[in-house]
This record gives sequence, structure tokens and C-alpha cells, in this order.
Amino acid sequence: MSAILLVAVPLLAAFLSILGKKLAPYLLLVVGLFNIIILFFVPEGIVIIGGFEQPIGISLLLDTYSRLALLLINGLIVLISFMNLGKYKKYAGILLLAMAGLNGMLLTNDLFNLFVFLEISGIAAYLISSSNKRPVKTFHYLVLGVVGSSLFLFGVVILYSMYGTLNMVDMIQKINLVGNYSELILPFTLMFIGLGVEAKLLPFNSWVKGVLGESNTLSGPMIGGVYAGAFGFVLGRYITNLFMFEGNLLLVVTVLLSLGILVGEAMAYSSSKAREILLFSSVAQASIVALLFVNGVILWAVYYIMAAAISKTILFFVINKATKEVGSDEIDQLQGLFVNNKVVGVAYTLITLSVMGLPLLVGFTIKINFLTQLAAGDQIWLIIVILLATLVEGIYFVRMLIKLWYKGNNEINVSYCNPLKIIFVIIALAFLTFGVYQTPLNNLDNSIDTVMEVVDNG
Amino acid sequence: MKNLLGLLISVALGILIVLALDVSESFPDFGSVEVSERVAEEYFDEDNVNEVGSGNIVTAVVVGYRGFDTLGEVTVLFISALGVALIIGSSKNQKRLDLKFKPNFMLKTGSRIVFGIILITSLYIITHGHLTPGGGFPGGAMIASGMLLLYLADDEFRSNIKGFKILEGLAGSLFVVIGLLGLLLATYFLQNFLPTGAVGDLLSAGIVPIIYILIGLKVGSEISGVIDNFLTEEESA
Amino acid sequence: MIQYIAIILFVFGLYGLLTNRNVIKMIISLNIMEIGLFIFIISVGFVYDGIAPIISSTADLGLLYVDPLPQALVLTAIVIGVGTTALALAFAKSIHNKYNTFNLDEVEEKL
Repeated sequence: MSAILLVAVPLLAAFLSILGKKLAPYLLLVVGLFNIIILFFVPEGIVIIGGFEQPIGISLLLDTYSRLALLLINGLIVLISFMNLGKYKKYAGILLLAMAGLNGMLLTNDLFNLFVFLEISGIAAYLISSSNKRPVKTFHYLVLGVVGSSLFLFGVVILYSMYGTLNMVDMIQKINLVGNYSELILPFTLMFIGLGVEAKLLPFNSWVKGVLGESNTLSGPMIGGVYAGAFGFVLGRYITNLFMFEGNLLLVVTVLLSLGILVGEAMAYSSSKAREILLFSSVAQASIVALLFVNGVILWAVYYIMAAAISKTILFFVINKATKEVGSDEIDQLQGLFVNNKVVGVAYTLITLSVMGLPLLVGFTIKINFLTQLAAGDQIWLIIVILLATLVEGIYFVRMLIKLWYKGNNEINVSYCNPLKIIFVIIALAFLTFGVYQTPLNNLDNSIDTVMEVVDNG
Repeated sequence: MKNLLGLLISVALGILIVLALDVSESFPDFGSVEVSERVAEEYFDEDNVNEVGSGNIVTAVVVGYRGFDTLGEVTVLFISALGVALIIGSSKNQKRLDLKFKPNFMLKTGSRIVFGIILITSLYIITHGHLTPGGGFPGGAMIASGMLLLYLADDEFRSNIKGFKILEGLAGSLFVVIGLLGLLLATYFLQNFLPTGAVGDLLSAGIVPIIYILIGLKVGSEISGVIDNFLTEEESA
Repeated sequence: MIQYIAIILFVFGLYGLLTNRNVIKMIISLNIMEIGLFIFIISVGFVYDGIAPIISSTADLGLLYVDPLPQALVLTAIVIGVGTTALALAFAKSIHNKYNTFNLDEVEEKL
């Protein structure tokens, strides 16, 4: 029972799925459930591939951090494929490959392996976004993604030529031996740009408006929820262990990320389309996550990523389904959506309030905890930026909720089938429970990321 | 105006990278690399060479030490071929695209002879991947370029797409199955579980030539499928 | 120095990508950028007086070889580049089917 099965089994299923196209959606659900089940039984530690000792060969690292990430990603992919079984049967093979690519990205301990899985997940994302039937926007996404990956590869090769190894643990040990940070600024900047394109950080996120602004029930939740979560986890792992920004680079990165938060919230405030509001909010959340990792807040950033990914998946799905039936996503056209869908409306409201950070919901607990940790690190300006962002978020989300609850001039006829309603209610109740009963959240601490331990013990 | 801005940004980035690499002490000058300080030193160790068994050290790296990266690369080609079929393919009956150039009889016949020579060369390069430069990827690309020759030389030609799809799926699955067999029979994924023989023989290096043959067939059939997708269109009934 | 020529190619490709509006020319610029990157990667492994890392028997192991790892990385990266180029060309054909032009400025006018 080795962690490599989390990547090998979806790959095998994907290769077999073109032999029997009708079976592909069921294969997707079965493999996803299999992955979730074996996640509880796989032992932690380093998994060597091919029998060659690291750093000669490639290895994978499974610890609590990766386990939480894998649980989130696989669970969300199973959920999305279940919600989209009817209409998007052709995309089952691509979802299997996205699952394999994202799992590999979260598990790997080798920099070039990360590049290869980055490309797999990236191409899967381009194909999922091609289901929007907007070839120009997807082409724009493809060009930006390929440039980003090339810059990432450039950075990795410069690091290899300086230190002679591609293994992350080995490289951190060698960097600690030499200790000259100024010559690492160039490769780390290039790698950060490469990861930032997919993670929706400013100023590399010009593709987000085109792809998520015209999304459907498959691409919206996948790219706005699953991919945002996965890249948040990868960025976190590399920022805390490898990059460890200091000096001028730290200043530049902090300013860029704070600008990202403020610009994202401002654009969401000034927009009148439901999908644009959600996608700009995702952009701001991605920058907040990166900022937290830069300042050493690991555990609460992980919880923030999980809450953000789950909530954006549900929010994007509800809005996209309504948009498809109504024909437009202007908030004025969607007025009164929840009048006939009270259960869905209550779940949506609870999830939105959690994103805003209202008390009694898990979003409030997470926000208070990471703001406290930032205060302990004397980061007053960042706390001000995040509180300002929360205020603006509150205004536009409440404005959206009011319009969706009160009946407008048009009659809207959108219905959600019963299994979907049950899923929404369960997730909303989970947010409520964890907001009130916080003890399980406090059981873990910042040591869930064990890369530094492995580096020290060698 | 936009051209000037683009020029300024690109040149500035280039100068920045060159200056940063020049100033950096750990970045070695061109040609004066110390291979003994890098991971590659271990690849030339006699025990390691006998363990993998391949005479071509680059093949030993690609299929042996970094076999997982090769699996990922094969997956990238697979998903690209799948994507091309999804975007411009169609499930209805298809016919060849009408082009302005009509090939003549000499071209059609001559191309078949040349195709035979190309096929033999590509099979040689694929099977000798562990002894000479080359291997599965260039060999597969040569098979695909042979197919492209047939497509361009004859405007009625369509290959057996269904057969290629089945070959592609089977070759990929066999690659992962060999890896899983390594997990079952030998403890690690993609570990060599066949005898390695003497370095330099044709029948040596355990699973390396088998994997390269699978990769060659897979790459050839995938790219041929992509060529077919580009050169056909829907039958307007 | 070979490494500076590779970076010049990279800059050419980037300039082409930023200034062209024709989809096919953007794809070609992307390929030129990637070729520059690949030449840079291979140049990282060169050793003066080193020979190609292919041995016929284990008696040859004491000689000076060039670094084989960057060559393996470039092999993988070239194939990945081919995959993304094929996908980009498929999108270009899809744009042509929908708007009957390859020029992104004309497509924006039609919308």
C-alpha cells in the first residue's frame, strides 16, 4: 500500500478509458473513491521510486500536509464529477488525468518532477476550460501557462547548475551550507512567476477573467475551486521550505501580494456580474493565502485554503447552473433566484457568510486565528490590508445576497435536483459545526509540514 | 508604440538574466563544470551501471533513474492527443480535407517505398535505445513522420485510426502495468525485475528496451492520430 | 558564449509573443522561446574535452564524460513542448473555424 498508487491508478484508468469510452465516467468515480479510501491507510514518509536511493532517483513525500491536500483535491473531484455526470461525459478521461496530475504535484519531492506534473495539470486545465467554447480566451490561457512553465523550468535549471541536484531536500541542505541569498534571487523569482501564473497571483492573472467569467458547471468549480486549492498547497510548500524570501525580494513579493488582494476586492466590488464577483474574490483569496505562507502561518493558511476551495466549488456551481438556465449572469437578471429554491438559498447564504468571516461559522475562526498569528509577528500593515479586504468583501457579498433573495421583475425558473441539495446542506452544516466546535481544528499545529524535519535529520 | 514597449521589456529581461548569471559565483562558466560535484557522478559508478545495465547513460537516466518523469511525459503527449481529438475531432463520419495541391501517381507510389525505409530505420532506432543515441521518442516521431508522408503524398489516404487508438491505450497501460509489477514483484514502483545481462549487448538492461519499444509505439500512434485529426473534416452529407 | 546566444533566442521568442497578433505567429514565437531555453539547458552540462556518455563495456568508465542529466531533462521538455504546440494549433484551427481569420485583432472587432 504505497503512496504511488494515488498517481499510478488514475493514470492506468485514463489509459484504459479510451478503449471503452462508455465506461469512463464510472471509472472516474470508482478511482476517485478508491483514492480517498486508501488515503486513510497509506503510511507517512518518503516513498522511493525505481529502487534508486535519493538523490539519484525520484522520491515522493507524504506527510499530514500532503494528506490534507490530497483528501481535499480527490474529494472535490469526486464531488464535481458526480454533480456533472449527465452533461459532460466526454471529459471523464481528462478529469482522471487532472486527478493524476494534481496528486503527483502535491506528493513529489523532486523539482523537475514538479515541472512535469505542472504541465500535466496545466494541459488538463486548458482542456477543461475549452468546454466553455471560447477558443480565444482558452488560447490566451494556454500561452500564459506555457510561458509560466518555461520560466519555472529556467529557474529549476539555474538551481541545478549551481547546486548539482534536483531533489528538494538535498537542495535545501546544500543551500543552507552555502548561505548566499543574493545569487538565489533570480531562480526563485522565475519559479515564483511560474507557479504564480496558475495560482492566479497578480500580475499574471489576466487569463482568469476570460476563462472563469464564461465558465460552466464543469470548468467553474474545477478551475475556481480544485485548481486554486491545489496550487495554494504547492505554493505553500515551496514558499515555506525552499524560497524563504528575505531582504529586498521579501519586500517586493509582499507589496505585489498586498496589491493583488486590494485590486481583486476592488474589481469584485465594481462588477455587476455574479461570476465576475466570485472570480475576483478567488483572486484576492489566492493572494491572501500566498501572503500568509510568506509570513510563516502554515496551519491556518491550510484551513483557509480548504474552506476557500470547498466554498468556491459550491458557489461557482450554483451560479453557473442558474446562469445556464437564465442565459446571463448579470445579478439583475438573477434576482429572486432563491425565492423558489429555499434550501439551496440557505446553504449558499451560510457558505457566503463563512467566506466573509461572520462569527459562528468556520470562516470567522480561521480569520481570527491567522490574524492573531500575523499580529504576533508584528505585521500591522498586512492586518490592515486584510481587514480592509474583508470589509469590501462584506459589502459586495451582502449586496449580492440581497438581490438574490428578493424577487425582481422577471420570473426565474431554476431547479436543482435532490442529491445536489443534500450535498449543499451537508457542506453548509459542516461549516457551521466547525465554526462552533473548534477543538478538532486545534489538534494540529504548524508542524504538519515535515520537510524541514527531513532536511535536519537528513 | 506597443512594439517598442515589447522590445524594451524583452531586452530588459534578457540583460537582467545575463547580468545575474555573470555575477553569481555558484553558476559555473561554460565548459568548466565539475561533474563530480553533481548527482551525475553517481551515474558513472560501476555498480550503478551494472544495476541498470544500459550502455547509453542518457537512456539509463531517462528510463531508469528518472523513469517517473518519462511516465509523466508520455502522459502529456497522451492528454494532448486526447485534447486535439476533443477540440477538432468529431464523432460523425469524416473525410479528407480538400487541398489545392493534387499529388500525381509517381508521388503516391514512390512515397510507399520511402515509407518502408523510414519504418525500418525507426524500428532500429527504437530497439537500440540502450546502446546508441536515440530511443523511443525519436523513433516514434519517425514513424509518425512516415505516416505524414503518406498523408501528404496521397489525398485519399486515411490510416486505421481505431487500430492506432487501441495501440496507444494498450501501450500506455502496459507501461503503468510494468511499473506496478515492479511494485508487486520487487518492492518499488518501476523497479527492474528482469535480469540485466552484460552492458553493451542487445539483450540487456532488463525492462529498459521493453519500455522504449512501448514508448516508441505509443508516440508513433499518438502523433499519427493528431495528423489525421488535422487533415480531415466532417462529411457534409 | 553559447549560453548568451541561447538567452538571445529566448528574448526573440518573448518579443515575438508580445508583439504579434496572428495566432500562428504567436505559436511560432512560443516555439522559438522554448528552443532558446533548451539550448541553455544543454549548455549547462558541457565539459571541455568531455565525450558523449555512451559506453560499450564497463572498462570505459574512467574517462571524462559530459553531464548526461541535462540531456535527459531536455528530452522530456522537448516532448512536452510538442504536446502543447499540438494543442495550441488545434485551438488555432478552432478559432479559424469560428471566426474565419487567424488575427486576434480582427476577432475582437467581430465580437
